[in-house]
Amino acid sequence: MSARRAEPVRDRKMLTRRMGSAEAWRDTKVGMWAWLLQRVAAIGLVAVIAAHLKNPFARPVQAALLALVLFHGLLGVRAILLDFGLPARWHRLLFLLALLVGVAAFAAIWRWRWY
Amino acid sequence: MVLKVFRWSPGSRERLQKYWVKALQGMTVLDALVELQRNSDATLAFRYACRVGMCGSCAMVVNGRERWACRTLLSNLDRGPVTVRPLYQFPLIRDLVVDMAPIKNKMLEMKAVFVPGRRAMDGDGFALIGSRTRERRAIDAAIECIGCGMCVSACTMVSHDPRFPGPAALNRVFTLQRDSRDGAHADRSQAVLAEDVLTRCHGQANCTAVCPMEISPTDSILALRRRAVLRLFGIGPR
Ligand code: SF4
Ligand code: FES
Repeated sequence: MSARRAEPVRDRKMLTRRMGSAEAWRDTKVGMWAWLLQRVAAIGLVAVIAAHLKNPFARPVQAALLALVLFHGLLGVRAILLDFGLPARWHRLLFLLALLVGVAAFAAIWRWRWY
Repeated sequence: MVLKVFRWSPGSRERLQKYWVKALQGMTVLDALVELQRNSDATLAFRYACRVGMCGSCAMVVNGRERWACRTLLSNLDRGPVTVRPLYQFPLIRDLVVDMAPIKNKMLEMKAVFVPGRRAMDGDGFALIGSRTRERRAIDAAIECIGCGMCVSACTMVSHDPRFPGPAALNRVFTLQRDSRDGAHADRSQAVLAEDVLTRCHGQANCTAVCPMEISPTDSILALRRRAVLRLFGIGPR
């Protein structure tokens, strides 16, 4: 048997999961939220870093920066752990852990005034 | 109970048709569809074979989630109207019936077909791999795929990139790459190194969440990716 190109399905009618429809979101799985939120945090980081460079001493910007870095980074650690072979069935637990560790680390760092 | 069933046939417009069924105790979505077809609308098309959760031919999207209709109790769904749609990402044939050819085509494209290698035979015919060996246990879950297509329908990356082979085909590739009797490992790893294949998976695990055989195509894809990375550095098997 030789490999063949798939027949073009584009010209045949097909349903796709339209993200604009309520139903596509009705059963959104945890893994997808983890992925989506990490990307959103990345975009947020770009904006916040720009604001931070302009005024490094604004407390709200510092708080946002810390929160986004923790959030984005810990979700990244989750992805790395899964990449390195932690079973995918742990992915929900890892998501929860990333959130909890993030909140705990934020509280700890924010309380520790370093200046 | 109100059922909103997706209706479409070539040449007509798609619509969600409302039906009312009396939800008896222990009734499944498939039972409800059979009931409708028998008593109210003989033109309703859907597919099933075993009725007991083995063949996967009754796969459809119920309330936004891929499920096998014969194993989905109406009593386990929300009380509101139950929507029933055909699988996403497969060409429609009619109503709830889709063409499963893309699964096979993607497998052929990824060369996910067994090719007997040098070790395929031993003195007594096909070489056996013991059920307790490491080799066999590594693919134990993954070989149970029944080709139902639910994972393909659930995958956001399949809908994003039509060239991505999708979880079912890559899961099959994984089982073959770990089979020492197969002789086409090199060809196949060439195929999966193409653009739009392993790199497209973002590990969202939507496939794993819906697989009725409790397979984790996510793990299979990540395992393939680890092998590919090791090979980049010239270590590890194909
Ligand atoms: S991996 Fe699971 S969901 Fe995907 S086709 Fe096979 S049995 Fe169906
Ligand atoms: S009819 Fe066979 S799995 Fe549902």
